Amino acid sequence: MFLINELITLLVANLILSQALGISTIFIAAGSKKNLIGTACVITLFTTVGSAAAYAVDSMLPYDMKDLRLLLYTLVTGAMYVLLLTAAYLLCRGKYTDFRKYIHVSAFNCAVMGTLFTINERAVMDSSLFTLSEYVSAGFEAGIGFIIAALILTAAYRKLNLSKVPASFRGFPAMLVYLGIISMAVYSLK
Amino acid sequence: MTNRNKLLFGGILGDNIVLSGLMVISPVIICGDTLKNAEALIYAFSAITFLSVLISSFVPRKLPYTAKIIIYAVISALVYIPVRLAALEFYPDSIGRIGIYYPLLAVNSLIVFQTEARFFRMKKLDMIISLIFCIIGFDAVMLITGFLRELLAYGTINSKIADVNILTKGFAQPFGGFIFLGLMCGGYRFIRAVVSKDSSKTRSGEDVSDK
Repeated sequence: MFLINELITLLVANLILSQALGISTIFIAAGSKKNLIGTACVITLFTTVGSAAAYAVDSMLPYDMKDLRLLLYTLVTGAMYVLLLTAAYLLCRGKYTDFRKYIHVSAFNCAVMGTLFTINERAVMDSSLFTLSEYVSAGFEAGIGFIIAALILTAAYRKLNLSKVPASFRGFPAMLVYLGIISMAVYSLK
Repeated sequence: MTNRNKLLFGGILGDNIVLSGLMVISPVIICGDTLKNAEALIYAFSAITFLSVLISSFVPRKLPYTAKIIIYAVISALVYIPVRLAALEFYPDSIGRIGIYYPLLAVNSLIVFQTEARFFRMKKLDMIISLIFCIIGFDAVMLITGFLRELLAYGTINSKIADVNILTKGFAQPFGGFIFLGLMCGGYRFIRAVVSKDSSKTRSGEDVSDK
């Protein structure tokens, strides 16, 4: 029962199904298992580490300078982007070329930036959420939510690309309608 | 239409960034439920994207790809600040409704990635023309989405009551946005196929495998 409750919570709070963040990335991820694993891991890493960095930014940034938040988040994400590329180059040189494309796709992405802004928005509304652990866990949850949504899309990906689907709707249009139906189901859980 | 013309003017129908490229679709899905939101998003997207790409075109090409991507994102984040301050004057109500999607417009893939892959391979004047048509393409989709979803969900046009008997409130929700955009994408592809006199290929679907 606990697991079911947790799964429902993850689905309801899912940034893709409820806020449409990172849709184009999820279409790339759902294309193959390799892409799914690579993109999901990198997105989760970005959202989790980025949330910790966002906490630092939010702690130091005065409220009347909130217009600078995007710039600071961008700088933080840029720093993570460079660090992750460097780490990938040093740690897994053989697979660096493969791994690099997932980092490029994930760095400046609505899923990552949207997560940071959403976490900040929640913390502004409820000050009990303004802690490092809450930020990091929310960032991690967002990454897991991305994986769940990608898995849901992967399950239907092949069928939505079959020639039985009218040519005009084959692929992306059918996937958008499919995500809409899943999103409707998730909406009813709220 | 020649290839050059397609590249320059294709942003509206031939290669629409929302319906064909699936870029910047989150604000269309979530915030494109009223004309007022659509107007505010059109203003923000047009101003941020045009200025950012224009300024970014002066970044030296010889820099490494990663450095250029970060610089483009930083330029866009800097352009966002005056655009948001101006929006507080012109669309003060919409800012709150659009929420996090306002800053997210500044990190859209048209600015961050397409600049490098598409615009900066063109001459300056061609780049500006192509960019303007891409922006008009987004604006058109946003206007149509805002108009139709507001009419279907609330029975109003720009907050004025219209004579609509059956309201479908779901169109104002995110799932309504997903479904509406999916249908619009399908309709767009169909029209594009008809326009390019390629409808027979569209219907036969010979390029798609069942296996």
